Amino acid sequence: MIRAFSPFLALRYLATRRINILGVLGVAFAVWAMLVVDGVFTGFVRDIHQNVENSAPPLLLTDLPHDQDFAVLRDALADKDVIALAPRLRQFAMLQPVRAGRFRLKRGSSELDFDHTKNGFAMLLGIDPLLEPEVVNIPAWLQRGTSEITRYGGPPTESVVFAEPDLERRAQLLLPDAIEWRARRAAGMAYEADVEQHSSSLPGMLLGWRRFGHLPWIKPGDPFEVVCAAFHQSGDDVTMRPYSKAVASAGWFASGNRMFDETTALLPIETVRTMLGHDYEDPDSIELVTDVAIRPREGLSADELADLQSRLQQRVQATLPAGSGPCSILTWREQNSVYLSAVAQEHMMMQLVLMIVMLVSAFVIYATLHMMVVQKIKDIGIVAAIGGSPRSIGSVFLITGTVVGLVGSLLGTLAGYLSSIWLNPVNDWLYEKFQVELFPRHLFDLQGVPCHIEPAWMVSVAIGAALLAVTVALIPARKAARMNPVTALAFE
Amino acid sequence: MTAVLSASGITKNYTIGKRQIPVLRGVDLSIAAGEKVALLGSSGAGKSTLLHLLGLLDTPTDGTIRYDGREVQSLPVAERARLRHQQVGFVFQFYHLIPELTALQNVLLARMMGSSVIGYFGQRKAARQGAIAILEQVGLADRLHHRPSELSGGERQRVAIARALLAEPKVVLADEPTGNLDSHTAKEVVDLMFRIQQERDLAFLLVTHDEGLARRCDRIVRMRDGRVTSQADQPSDQATNA
Repeated sequence: MIRAFSPFLALRYLATRRINILGVLGVAFAVWAMLVVDGVFTGFVRDIHQNVENSAPPLLLTDLPHDQDFAVLRDALADKDVIALAPRLRQFAMLQPVRAGRFRLKRGSSELDFDHTKNGFAMLLGIDPLLEPEVVNIPAWLQRGTSEITRYGGPPTESVVFAEPDLERRAQLLLPDAIEWRARRAAGMAYEADVEQHSSSLPGMLLGWRRFGHLPWIKPGDPFEVVCAAFHQSGDDVTMRPYSKAVASAGWFASGNRMFDETTALLPIETVRTMLGHDYEDPDSIELVTDVAIRPREGLSADELADLQSRLQQRVQATLPAGSGPCSILTWREQNSVYLSAVAQEHMMMQLVLMIVMLVSAFVIYATLHMMVVQKIKDIGIVAAIGGSPRSIGSVFLITGTVVGLVGSLLGTLAGYLSSIWLNPVNDWLYEKFQVELFPRHLFDLQGVPCHIEPAWMVSVAIGAALLAVTVALIPARKAARMNPVTALAFE
Repeated sequence: MTAVLSASGITKNYTIGKRQIPVLRGVDLSIAAGEKVALLGSSGAGKSTLLHLLGLLDTPTDGTIRYDGREVQSLPVAERARLRHQQVGFVFQFYHLIPELTALQNVLLARMMGSSVIGYFGQRKAARQGAIAILEQVGLADRLHHRPSELSGGERQRVAIARALLAEPKVVLADEPTGNLDSHTAKEVVDLMFRIQQERDLAFLLVTHDEGLARRCDRIVRMRDGRVTSQADQPSDQATNA
């Protein structure tokens, strides 16, 4: 039973001793930091996962040996749990934007026509414009690309490629005639006198929007020269041949995955195959791929998905030449495991730091209460002399710590909640007024400062902080309770 | 007369390192209701230690302490605290008021000791009226809401007396209550204490160095080196009026 004097004296101490405000602020700050920093990090991890998921196919067949035929793989990948497949062909290349009068690379020169020091290398990703949107949300990439480019002051681009109703034209990822016609004229290439007579021939290329910083003057339809090299076998001789191809800018895409958006250029898969020396009109040519994007049926459980991965891997492996290394069927998480692990590790480290902040605040409470006990030794003796039991004397300090913890916890929770609401407006205002960003969202291609606080987490943190405060208050409370009243009365 | 408080064969040793320091060496003492006893002795004689043992703030090494005939020195600490609250009122030389509380709150604290939070909530008005009444009785009606730092030495001691009396104890233990006051204020405070003692028929044990004050008590007990060396009743006309 708590005696009436315990809460009375505790509240008097709280009201008259300003040092307790330090304890309240310590808890409030720790709770606030816990909620806001972890909220931002949780939101950040969630958005990063979302972006990575958007930028990668749900499953990807990769680690294939050279010269794999999509026609063969398509049969191996046919499964009741697979609803779409899309061939992919990866190839490193150099990109050279072409300006009027300088369509070709200069012979004997390594100079690239870039405005900055960034090199012109890119990962060409050949896709089938008909099949790829069945697996990956390419229209969303284009929409976001346009949004990013206009946000950074670039010209708006139209998603002309995937809006093309003519499947044959769309399959070639062709530009509309008028755009190509203007591109040819700008590059000094041959072009018809009238746009109406022009027929498209340049394949379109979608660039990751992250290259916009180096190519801000590129408009839809501007020509590029793409250069790559491939090995060719003729009899026993293997030679390496360079290939170059004229393509035209068809727009910008933004998947949300920074690395992907920085390095990748999307081209029609046939164009990339041609650059590797394949002739699709040759009856012996194969549908060359390096990877296959796979969309499994919705609603598969984790176990079912793992089974599917294993099943497909075995079937594909069976089609590969003997002695081939193991191919892989990777989920979107596995495709980006290093990056996601790094983010998860950072999140864990951040939580560890926050735990330390919480412990520091607990130490502040402990130090405050311990100091109070030391300063109030005489009071402890007085209270004992007029009939206070050790337990009720300890309760005075326990109640003090509890109130400090509860008030601090409530204030911190309120401040954390309000901060999560006002984080983006404050960040925008700071940037507008002082060019200062609390969270440089462009680093991770996020639309705003991500902040996501789960109500359950908020309640857990508040209760946890209050309990921690009570726990640390037990130590000075116990010290007070065990104090000898005679010694306490004699204390000076 | 029946003894309200009695002690027999009380010894108290303190341990310093490996040494046992005897402070009390077999003290016998009893106080009856309405009796005023002065405890005299030089510094280090063991007066305050005896007072603390009798007030159940400490436990003797040996011997027995009885309140109304009930042996109490071995009771659990919480039970001794409850008994201390019900039976004993302390008055100290340095007043020992809690600086954060007003005079009224310091006195009310003694009432809060005996009640639970809910129990006190129901009787808080009566408790407040009782505290005000006793503060008025000690002449502090106009100082109720002053903190100790805003009161004179005499006023602080009056608050301490009011606090000691609020729970209506049977025994008041006063440890040099006038030791920190000038002679005029000391006389006022002693007069006040003795008046209330008579009104309430309290057993009163007064530790003092002041022979004059001791002569106003019913009995003088002298101590030296942890022993009671003499106990002498005062002539009734000398006691109180000296």
